[in-house]
Amino acid sequence: MLVFAISDKGGTGRSVTSSNIVYRRALQGQDVCYLDFDFGSPTVGAIFRVSGAARGTLKGGLHRYLEGEIAEPTRIDVWVESDRDALRSKPPGAGQMVLFPGDEGGAEFPTFEGEMVERCVRLFAKLQEQFDLVMVDLSAGRSHAALLALAATARLPKIPCRWLVFHRWTRQHILAADGLVTGTHGLLDAGEAHGHHRALLADRIRFVRTAVLDPGAAELDGLRDTQKTWLSEFDRELRELASRHGVGRTSMLGKVPLDPVLQWREQLITDEDVQGTMIANVETVVAFDELAKKIVDDAAWEGL
Amino acid sequence: MLIMGEVRTGLLQNSAEVPESDLSSVLGLLAGERVRISRRPILHALSPDLLTGVDCLLPSAAQAKIRGVGTVVSRCSITGGRVVQSSSYVRVTKAETGHRLPWSHYLARPGVIEVLGKAAAADLADGFLAFGLPGEHLDVGSISDRLMDTVQAAESLDRASPFRSTQTRLRWVAASGEPGVRFVLGEGVERRVRITYEGEFSTAVLDLCEDLALHDWLLTTLLVIVERARIGAAPRAEVSARLAPAVDALLHLWMPGARIHPSLAPLWESLELAPGFTRQWQSLVERVRDQFAVNTLALLLRETNPV
Ligand SMILES: Nc1ncnc2c1ncn2[C@@H]1O[C@H](COP(=O)(O)OP(=O)(O)OP(=O)(O)O)[C@@H](O)[C@H]1O
Ligand SMILES: [Mg+2]
Repeated sequence: MLVFAISDKGGTGRSVTSSNIVYRRALQGQDVCYLDFDFGSPTVGAIFRVSGAARGTLKGGLHRYLEGEIAEPTRIDVWVESDRDALRSKPPGAGQMVLFPGDEGGAEFPTFEGEMVERCVRLFAKLQEQFDLVMVDLSAGRSHAALLALAATARLPKIPCRWLVFHRWTRQHILAADGLVTGTHGLLDAGEAHGHHRALLADRIRFVRTAVLDPGAAELDGLRDTQKTWLSEFDRELRELASRHGVGRTSMLGKVPLDPVLQWREQLITDEDVQGTMIANVETVVAFDELAKKIVDDAAWEGL
Repeated sequence: MLIMGEVRTGLLQNSAEVPESDLSSVLGLLAGERVRISRRPILHALSPDLLTGVDCLLPSAAQAKIRGVGTVVSRCSITGGRVVQSSSYVRVTKAETGHRLPWSHYLARPGVIEVLGKAAAADLADGFLAFGLPGEHLDVGSISDRLMDTVQAAESLDRASPFRSTQTRLRWVAASGEPGVRFVLGEGVERRVRITYEGEFSTAVLDLCEDLALHDWLLTTLLVIVERARIGAAPRAEVSARLAPAVDALLHLWMPGARIHPSLAPLWESLELAPGFTRQWQSLVERVRDQFAVNTLALLLRETNPV
C-alpha cells in the first residue's frame, strides 16, 4: 500500500509522525519503506539517525532518480545502517525497514514532465511488490512533489493508496488542512486534473492531529481551575470548527499527544525511551502504534 | 569470447497463478512474435528475444575506459504462472576496426558487442561481477529491470500478489574451457556466477543461469517467509497464516535442472554438492510441513478433548 504524508503548513510534525508510524509498522512485522519526497529539505536521515544521509544522500537519491540521472535510487537499510544502537538490530519477527533518502543539495522541482511521472510510476509499482507499506513524505503545501504523486497514482489504479493530512490542533492549522484538501488547487482539484475520481480520492484522505495537548492530561494537574476551564472550552470550540470544515472526528485517523522528547528533538521513539530511560510518554507510542494499524485497517477507511 | 548477463527474478504481481491462456498476453512485449509455452515438467512461458542497441563504456575492474558498440539480447519468462524472470546478455568480441560502423553492421550480429580498442576478458568479467553503480557502464541489469516492469504492468495482472517479496539479481559470466560453475551468494540481493562450458556458446548456458536464478530466488524467498513466521515464538495459528502463501505459491515449483540441456546437467549436479540448493530447500520444506502437521494435530486434539 502507498501512503502519502502531506500538510499545508511546514513544521506540523509530518515527518516525525510518519517516520514513527513506519517504525511501528515494521515492529508489527510488516516490510516498510520510507521515501523522502521533501526535495527542498530532506531530513529523514536525521530522524532515523543515519549519518550518511542526515541532509539527504550524496550517492544518488530520489531526486536524481526522478530526474533520470540514475537508474535506481539509493536505499538504506535502517536496521543495519542507523547510528542508534536501539535501531541497529532487527528485533525477531520485525519487517524490513528501508529508507529512500533525497539528495543533499536537491531542490523542489520547478515543474515536472511526463518522463518523470513514468519513473515515479515504475518506482511505486516496484516498491509495492516488495513492501507492505510504502510511506512517502511530501513537502508542505501545494508542491510539485504532491502533483507528481497524484499523477503517478492516477496511473496505478490497482495499487491501494491513501493520503494522510497532518495538522496541529490550532484554529489556523485546522482551516489550512481543510484548504489543502478542498480549496482551489487543493488535493481534490489537482487530483481530478490528473485523472483521479474526485469522490474516490476524497475517501482516501484522512487527517492526523499532531502535538495535541489533551485538556484532561495528568501533566496539566498543576494548572489553575480557570486555566483548565479555558482549555476545555477552547478545545470544544476547535472541535466544532474542525467538524464544520470536514476535519472532524469522522475524517480523523488519529491524534498524537504533545510529547516532551519530540518537542526537543526529531526522532523515533523506541520502547527503551518509554520503559528504560522513561524520557518519552507511553501515550505517544500507543498513538503511533494505533495509527500504524489504522492506516491499513479498511474499517477506518470506509466511505464517509 | 566472453559472455556476460544478468537475470532478475521476482514474484509475478497477481493474486492467483496466471493460467496458460493469459501467459501470451502478459509476455506479449513484441507484437507479431510468438510466446513459446511448454507444459512439462512445469508450465513455462518464454517471450521472444528483444534487442537493445548500446554504445557505451564496458565495466572494467582496472577502471580502464573500454568502449563497446552493439546490441543486448533480452527475454522474459514465467514459470508455474508465478515467477517472472527477465534476462539480458551480450557476447563481447573484438571489433575489426577501431571506429564505430553503421548500425546495420551491429543489427546483423544480435547480442554481440564489439570492443573498440583493447580489452582483457578477465578484466571485463571482474568489472562486471563487481556490480558497479548503475548507469555508468553497460548496464544489462537495468535493461532487464525495465522489461520486468513492463511485464508486471500487464493489463491482465491485478498487482495483488499473495505476499511481498524481493527481486534477486544474478550476474553471470561465461567463457569456453574445462566445464565448471561457481556460485557466490552476495550480501543483499546480488549473486555472482562464473561458468565455463565446452564447445560453442549456445543459449543452453543462458537456460542454466535462469534455472539457477529461479531456484536461488525460491530458496531466498522461502527462507524469509520461514524466518518471519517465527516458528515456536508466535501463536500457532499466526505461524500457519504466515506460512500458507508459501505453501500455496512456491513449494511445487522446485525442479532444479528440469529445463537444462543434458550436456550441462553435470554443472547443476556440482552445485547440488556445494552449496547444495536442494538439501537446504528440503530441510526448509520439511519445517514448513511439520509446522502444518503439528497445527492440524493441535486443532484435532482440541476438538476431541474440548476444554
Ligand atoms: N507529538 C509531538 N509532540 C511534540 N513535538 C512534536 C510532535 N511531533 C512533532 N514534533 C516536533 O515538531 C517539529 C516539526 O516536526 P517535523 O519536522 O516532523 O514537521 P514537518 O511537518 O515534517 O516539517 P517540515 O514542513 O519542515 O518538513 C519537530 O521539532 C518535531 O520534533
Ligand atoms: Mg519534514
